[in-house]
Amino acid sequence: MNKIHQGKTFRERAREALKDDFMRQAVRKAVDTLETRKEEATDALGNWDQWREQGKRIREHAVENLDYYLSQLAANVRNNGGTVYFAPEAKDARQIILEIIKKHGGKHIVKSKSMVTEEIHLNKALIKEGLDVVETDLAEYILQLADEPPSHIVVPSIHKSRDQIAELFSNVAREKIPNDTPSLTAFSRKVLREKFLQADIGITGCNFAIADTGAISLVTNEGNARLTNSLPKVHIAVMGMERLVPSFADLEVLLTLLPRSATGQKLTSYISITNGPKKPEDLDGPDYFYLVILDNGRSRILADTEFRQSLHCIRCGACFNVCPVYRQVGGHSYGSVYGGPIGSVISAFLTNDMERYGGLAYASTLCAACSTVCAVKIPLHDLLLKLRHRYVTHKYTPAAERTVFKLWRTTFQNPKTYRLAIKMAQKAQSPLVNNGYIIKGPPPLSAWTNSRYFPKAAEKTFREQWQQQHH
Amino acid sequence: MEQLGIPEQDFINTVARALGRSEPLKHAPQRDIVGPPDFWQEDEEIRKHSLELFKKNLEGLSGRVVIAQSAAEVQQQVKTWLTELEAKNVICWDHGDLKELLQPETLGVNVQLWNDGHSSKELIDVAARADVGITWINFGIAYTGSMAVLSGARTGRSVSLLPPTHIGICKRSQIVPTMTSVIKHLVDLRGQGHLPATINFITGPSRTSDIEMDLSIGVHGPYRTWVIVLDEQ
Ligand code: SF4
Repeated sequence: MNKIHQGKTFRERAREALKDDFMRQAVRKAVDTLETRKEEATDALGNWDQWREQGKRIREHAVENLDYYLSQLAANVRNNGGTVYFAPEAKDARQIILEIIKKHGGKHIVKSKSMVTEEIHLNKALIKEGLDVVETDLAEYILQLADEPPSHIVVPSIHKSRDQIAELFSNVAREKIPNDTPSLTAFSRKVLREKFLQADIGITGCNFAIADTGAISLVTNEGNARLTNSLPKVHIAVMGMERLVPSFADLEVLLTLLPRSATGQKLTSYISITNGPKKPEDLDGPDYFYLVILDNGRSRILADTEFRQSLHCIRCGACFNVCPVYRQVGGHSYGSVYGGPIGSVISAFLTNDMERYGGLAYASTLCAACSTVCAVKIPLHDLLLKLRHRYVTHKYTPAAERTVFKLWRTTFQNPKTYRLAIKMAQKAQSPLVNNGYIIKGPPPLSAWTNSRYFPKAAEKTFREQWQQQHH
Repeated sequence: MEQLGIPEQDFINTVARALGRSEPLKHAPQRDIVGPPDFWQEDEEIRKHSLELFKKNLEGLSGRVVIAQSAAEVQQQVKTWLTELEAKNVICWDHGDLKELLQPETLGVNVQLWNDGHSSKELIDVAARADVGITWINFGIAYTGSMAVLSGARTGRSVSLLPPTHIGICKRSQIVPTMTSVIKHLVDLRGQGHLPATINFITGPSRTSDIEMDLSIGVHGPYRTWVIVLDEQ
């Protein structure tokens, strides 16, 4: 667990995040830009809703028949000369990857941005073995230097300012690197190019695998995934088991949806479709290709017919950009590798830790903006509501809250106790009232009044007013 | 290596059970929906204006597109660009059509062709130091301003990737309306067992917005993606 994730609850982390003005402003600016560009790009395409519908059906079909397509994928990867491993859990994936690296005598590893390797905390494991690992996506490189996790799945370092980045780079360079964008980019190009030329192992994620071909696709704007699968002699790709499409034609649909939803681009600068190791006669490209297919809680989601559809996600980030909660608190507050609305839905299942992550169901206003933008029409707000239900039935809501609701129920079931309670409220509130609002309630009311005003109870109840006016 | 992870069958069985099946599905499932939506026919309008669209879209991404009327014009344009860039070293695909059109030995700079006359390491070193990489473009995609390049023994991936400038050259007939045409071609190649090890779609220069959402060009790949299309009348 990274230092950023150590706060105890979402509420506590969010409270900290709300004090970080730079972060909040940066996040808002970033998501506004992404969201505006997305709208332009999706309007320009026309029939956006039909594309989404098509994307949804393709994802649904792939997930509903995952057993068949996974076998087909594995067989085709082997036909192409690659090797496939199956990892039930994060620790298995780490072990597999370490063994592959050892077998090839690998020392220098370049990585291209991948959420799934974040999920299995791969870097830490590799570094512990004394390996030289470098993240090559600019944002991930910045985060690696800062020792922080990503805070957005498309633009992971939006919470860092250019001054902070210049400071991190200056530490590496042992001289002052100016804080303008061209200088910072040029510096990272120079450092990372050296790393690429030196690397013996390249590790990537996998945006989508193509089952009937045994190929994987990698999508980046910087070109670091291309370098990762062109220069090192060994390419290891790690994929969450659900991230496949049946055929090439299906890939076109997801490649139309993903960049438009993510950044408003028609296509990402680079899309590589990689079909195993290099051909024997090729002069660049990896000699060895390994695909590591990871479950790590996904079969738990698959088995749950209500939540299965969350596996349709294509990680475009659009739901982050419109979420009023994400916009206020940023990605680290979620305390999970996957933040934003989709992260709130899947984290408890992936980790099998309803107690710790189930509460993320409350990191939502249920405004449904996420469901409205989702590239593959996952009803995210609906799933968040269902998750709240699960969380409550698991009795993970705070004890105080449960007591209040219990009291509420007994009181309100009986007209006599109800009337008595209202009378008491009218009397008890007087020292707390200011301008018609309760501004400083005692616990548990303080959870509300610390950040909002609570309207005071009316002088006369509705029943009393009704009786006065009608009799 | 001894068993790492778990056997495929155990993994697939778990997935099948999660899907509520007693054993994994053995036959390809029925599908009524495959690929792009029905209305996504290759539009006659896009087809008619493919070249203009390709140019407009790539230029919109800070690329350059020049339409040449003859092989001589192609060569002249490349020379003009090399002079503008003060380029001294060029790495170039050893590709039949490209060589015929370009006559690389006449460019007046050091040109290294990508072929097995050199070791893989030497070629990568040359590409990493080259000022310009020149490739053939297997397909230009009008709708997005993309190029598709297919890897091979004489068509290395590094050529369009390592140098700061990438010049792509093709004939007008290779400009297709949308990605759909390219995908069809790839499916055919796969059918014949000739799918290359990697297919790259390149849409403009390497870019990033990772520093305060400020667009920056050329973080890993080329800063410049320039294209010449031969359109013989
Ligand atoms: S849930 Fe939908 S909107 Fe959110 S990242 Fe996944 S695909 Fe994109």
